[in-house]
Amino acid sequence: MVLDMPDVLIADDSEFMRNLLREILEEDHNIVGEVENGVEAVETYKEENPDLVMMDIVMPIRDGIEATDEIKTDNPDANVIMCTSVGQEEKMKEAVKAGADGYITKPFQKPSVMEAIEDVVPS
Amino acid sequence: MRVDIKSLGTFNQLAHEGAEQATRSMSQMTGIGAKVDVTKITLVGREDIGEQLIGDDYVGVRFDFEGELTGETVLVFDRAGSETIIESLVPGGAADEAMAQSSVEEIGNIMMSGFIDGWADYLEATIEHSPPEYVEGNATDMVPLVEDGSDRDQVFLFKSEIEWVGESVSFYIYMLPEYGSMTDLMTRHADTESDAIPIDKLEVFNEMTKDGTQRAADNVEMMTGIETEAEVSRISFAPIEDVPKQIGSDTYVGTVVEFTGVPSGFLLVLFDEESAVHVAEGMMPVEMESSGLTDQHKAAIEELGNIMTSGFVDGWANVLQTSVDHTPPRLVHDMGQSIMDPLAAQVGQHQEHAFIIDSKMRTDDIEFGAEIHALPNEKELREALDELLVERADQTEADVEQIF
Repeated sequence: MVLDMPDVLIADDSEFMRNLLREILEEDHNIVGEVENGVEAVETYKEENPDLVMMDIVMPIRDGIEATDEIKTDNPDANVIMCTSVGQEEKMKEAVKAGADGYITKPFQKPSVMEAIEDVVPS
Repeated sequence: MRVDIKSLGTFNQLAHEGAEQATRSMSQMTGIGAKVDVTKITLVGREDIGEQLIGDDYVGVRFDFEGELTGETVLVFDRAGSETIIESLVPGGAADEAMAQSSVEEIGNIMMSGFIDGWADYLEATIEHSPPEYVEGNATDMVPLVEDGSDRDQVFLFKSEIEWVGESVSFYIYMLPEYGSMTDLMTRHADTESDAIPIDKLEVFNEMTKDGTQRAADNVEMMTGIETEAEVSRISFAPIEDVPKQIGSDTYVGTVVEFTGVPSGFLLVLFDEESAVHVAEGMMPVEMESSGLTDQHKAAIEELGNIMTSGFVDGWANVLQTSVDHTPPRLVHDMGQSIMDPLAAQVGQHQEHAFIIDSKMRTDDIEFGAEIHALPNEKELREALDELLVERADQTEADVEQIF
């Protein structure tokens, strides 16, 4: 683990997408956890207190907007970027209301991910 | 202009019974057993009418008809099937070109007269039809673009698929009423406004679906590097029990999600097995050693299905200014009919007929086939159409930067 790199938690029910995000991020970030649903995302956030959460929306057990809401209620300074296939305006507004700091729609490429992270967690 | 579900069901039943009458006539003349598999009413772009006939060689007969209902009908056999029919009528006739053509014309004439007469009897009116015109070739030769004097891109198509018993041979009956003639008929026969569908909005919804398919195709292209285009998009109406048959018995790999909101229902993203392997490998950062479908391929397909689903339904939500939630994708790998069976059964608890939204995409680069099928709950689809503002129909995309 490199100490001056930001800690990132990846929450996505797709193993494929977790792998893809890890490959994009691991060069410049410490991946402190990879979880598959909103419940695990909240628990792992509380344990690891990462600098950033990359949060999917459509996940089993608990969705990413609810998880974001709980994380931001507990810690308004938490940084959460929604990383989702959902491109619906109403859903984006729900994400804003829950406290999300950024929103990336899948499919994405590395530059757009890095740009969104730079906006939320400047290096 | 609205049409009620009951009338649509009646028209579908009429076409189905007409196809059954035509099939009985053929069986009586040839001794060949056959049954009508599926009859559906489809709202489809003119250029896509004969899409199922692309690539093969067909023969058939075409008629114009006019009266209470005006339009065109075509009976289509694949060439090998037609030769079997000719041989059963006139042994040795298939080798004689003139005899073969005459045989097809005559059997077509008898079959289709029964088909058209059924409509006339129901409508208690006369429908005249032209003498049979022999046609051969592929899609556009058999089912040419309908010229009905209107500038509409979409037309109503009644299509029955008939299977020979014990054979993997099918033939088809297409009926293409002129748009104005069909909508007049629908309006005259609407017996209630309570469950009526606005026809014009159904067309707009079909266009939105085409946009959604193109977005899904763009997503495939972005994730795999495979240049992909939306090909066909249509809305069909059929009895719920016939819905699974439409997906057929080929094996597919893909995803199923349930979506909730207005509208609600099920959405399937399906790839044939070979395409699934191609597409999944296009998504992998490293080349795969296995030639078959591995767990890694399936994980990639699951995520692609998720992304394609969103691409498809997000436009509906944005135009309707609502949200359409969907469950995480469930991977499926089975015969198409087996995948659809339980979904149709669930939807069928509340309705006898269903609208089915079908889209296909293609690529020129490799052998590739992907299909999206949506099975919305009829009541919510009706609500969605009622709420649809036609002037917002192009507002399918949301601007993230404006919101964040």
